[in-house]
Amino acid sequence: MIKRFLPIFCIAFFVSNCVVVKEYQKVNLNDPDMVLSEKKCDRNVTIAHSYREAAVGANGGKTGGGCGCN
Amino acid sequence: MKLVCKIISIIFVLNWALTYVQAQETPQVYKKRVLETSEVDFLTSYYTQDGENAAVSGGIGTEELTDVTGTVVISIPLNDDDVLTIDAGVSAYTSASSSNVNPFDGNAPANAFIASSGASQSDTWVNFTGSYSHSSEDRNNILSAKVSVSSEYDYFSLGFGGSYSKLFNEKNTELSINANVYIDSWNAIYPIELRPFGTNGTGSFRPSEITGNTNYNPTFSEFDSEGRNSYSLGLGFSQILHKNVQGLLSLDVVRQQGLLSTPFQRVYFSDVEDSFVEDFHLADDIERLPNSRFKVALGGRLNWYLNEIITLRTYYRFYFDDWGINSHTASIEIPVKLTDRFTVYPSYRFYNQSAADYFAPYEVHLSTSEFYTSDYDLSEYTANQFGLGATYTDIFTKLHVWEFGLKSIDLKFYNYNRNTAFSSLIITAGFKFVMD
Repeated sequence: MIKRFLPIFCIAFFVSNCVVVKEYQKVNLNDPDMVLSEKKCDRNVTIAHSYREAAVGANGGKTGGGCGCN
Repeated sequence: MKLVCKIISIIFVLNWALTYVQAQETPQVYKKRVLETSEVDFLTSYYTQDGENAAVSGGIGTEELTDVTGTVVISIPLNDDDVLTIDAGVSAYTSASSSNVNPFDGNAPANAFIASSGASQSDTWVNFTGSYSHSSEDRNNILSAKVSVSSEYDYFSLGFGGSYSKLFNEKNTELSINANVYIDSWNAIYPIELRPFGTNGTGSFRPSEITGNTNYNPTFSEFDSEGRNSYSLGLGFSQILHKNVQGLLSLDVVRQQGLLSTPFQRVYFSDVEDSFVEDFHLADDIERLPNSRFKVALGGRLNWYLNEIITLRTYYRFYFDDWGINSHTASIEIPVKLTDRFTVYPSYRFYNQSAADYFAPYEVHLSTSEFYTSDYDLSEYTANQFGLGATYTDIFTKLHVWEFGLKSIDLKFYNYNRNTAFSSLIITAGFKFVMD
């Protein structure tokens, strides 16, 4: 499994060295709609999905435990 | 010589004094607080679902359920670097499906498609999570720890977790790792008709009322252990790709051990004769699933600030586990800023999954199998979800409640449909306050 995902992380790591955006250029990136996680008001939607769907994780939500789901 | 010594002494004293004064006059480097002021979020949701494949009645029957949730999240800056967050929530539901753990309420002939008024028709789930985070002086290292407790009538959970994030490349790149452990326990509740055949049971259930196979004598054993432990490890990598584009890759690996079956979910075998009381099919057994499960989820987000009006938020996840389930999730949300205060959020989400190795519909399983379930949440299906939301933001927080100013209001609506008979609706609302 590690072999499966290692190349993706390696590529991502090298891509990270290509661009440097300065702090003063981050005004658009700091917009609340640009946040790289689910929004607080969507939390209960993610919990509903975790009850009704087999797949969980990799979305900032719960990955198991704490309820009878999954 | 004495004069030289005096001069040297004076120079030392002056030098020390000058250094001291300079040190005092050195301007303090401005350090932005991680969280400027206390924040309070009130979150609430109303959820309703319906379907015709209830797991409680072995893959047939009503899945009608209604749930109302209220949560408060309080974030308190303890100093420039540390934040304490308290998260407490209550969820109350009524479920036609789980009411049929005991469908014989005497009001009407028992039927899988009719809700019972039994004790299991409703429950309340309460949750408390406390977390603490510390950021380094340069804000490039963030450590956090959390503890959580949740409880409902037949389930209790205790959780611990921690995470570490490292930012570098002028905060263009972030690597993070998190780990969580949940120690859970069931208070197992079994279908009413199977209880007499378990430990200390009488060995019969309403024998004079049974139709069909009148010799109802299921081979039923209660679970020896009611504990469930979950261990998760997550890795995250986020990267700014452009002054308007940033992305995230995340990997979650989860190991679960213990009682992974739901004790009140019935199973009917094709090689066992059917027995009925009233219009209700008596269970042949409850679902039996392996006592371990290994899950892997790989997800990616890409957000693109197109212009001052439109932003694109995209997400994709691939999931697989050792129960034979593969799944794809993809979603897109397009925030559109109508004014500087109002934003609307149309969204679409696609989801599909393959069936678990142990799933089969109503009365298809064989009694000779080791593992079986008729829970359609583990079946093959495709789901589509459409959503629409709106946010009102007031950066000046003019509206006040006590010492807190209202910063934003979120309202969202989602409609979820499977390609089976299942559908659901959820309405969520969030109110964000900041302390003056």
